[in-house]
Amino acid sequence: MKTLLATLALTTALSAPALAAPVTLTTNLSNYGGDGAYLALYVTDSKGVYKGSLWMAGGKAKYYKHLSDWNRATGGNTAEISGITGASVGAGRQLKITLDLADALFDAGYELHIDAAVEDFRDSPSEVVVPLTRAGANKPVAGRHYIQDFTYGL
Amino acid sequence: MKKYLIATTFLAGIAAAGVALADDDDCNVAMSNWQPREAVKAMAEAQGWSVRRIKTDDGCYEIDGRDAQGREIEVKVDPGTLAIVEMEYEDDDDDDDDDYGESRQNAAPAGSVAPPDNGLFTPGSKPVVKQ
Repeated sequence: MKTLLATLALTTALSAPALAAPVTLTTNLSNYGGDGAYLALYVTDSKGVYKGSLWMAGGKAKYYKHLSDWNRATGGNTAEISGITGASVGAGRQLKITLDLADALFDAGYELHIDAAVEDFRDSPSEVVVPLTRAGANKPVAGRHYIQDFTYGL
Repeated sequence: MKKYLIATTFLAGIAAAGVALADDDDCNVAMSNWQPREAVKAMAEAQGWSVRRIKTDDGCYEIDGRDAQGREIEVKVDPGTLAIVEMEYEDDDDDDDDDYGESRQNAAPAGSVAPPDNGLFTPGSKPVVKQ
C-alpha cells in the first residue's frame, strides 16, 4: 500500500510538469522609426490551420484588420484575445510575456506566428513563423520588418 | 451699419463652423431611415452585450455598456443598417487622432483576467507581461 502511494505521489509529481510549462515569449522590435506596433501572437498546426491566440499587443479592435493573417483566421473575433490583450509595443522596445502553455504544443508540428502592423506603414502578416520544438527553444529567430528577433524559452 | 456687418460676419462664421462639424460625422443616414432605439438594444443584446446607455454621436448610435466578457465597450452603430462602425474598449485611450497606441496610455489589463479556453493555456493560469 505504501509503495502504491509512493508510486502515485511520484507519478503525479512527474506528470504535473509534463502537462504544462511556463514559456517565456520575448519579442524585440527593431528601430523602424514609427509608432507603436500591433502584434498578434497565435498558433497554427502544421497545415497552417489556426488553433488559438497567445497574445495581442494593441488595444483598439479597429486596427486588428491590419494583422491580416490573424484577422482572416479569426474573423477579427475579440473573444479570441479576451484576457490576453495588452499594450502596443514601441519601436526598439521589448515585449516579454510568460504564459503557462500546454506541453502538447511542443514537438507536435505546431507553429507560432506573429503578425505585425504599424500605423502608416506596410502590414506584415506572419512576420515570424517558428515551429514550436524543444530543440528550437532559446534560439532567436529574425523578423522581416518590425521585429528584430523573437525567442521562446522553456 | 457697421454693427450690422459685424453681426452678419459673426453669424456667417458660426454657420460655416456648423457645416464643417457636420462633415465630420461617422454616419450619414437621413432621420427618416433611422431604426428605433429598441432595435439597437436588441442588436446589442444579440451580441451578448449588456447595455448601459444608447445615445447618438457623430450621426451614429453609440452603445455604452459591457461585452460578454465584462469589458467596458463603446460601439458606434450605423443607425440605418445597425452595422458596427467602430468598436472601442473603454480601457483604451480615447483619442481617435492618436497613433496606434503608446504604451503608457494603453496599459495591459491588470487584475484577474484569464486567457481564453482555447486549449493552448493551462486552465486558470495568468499571463505575466513585461514591456
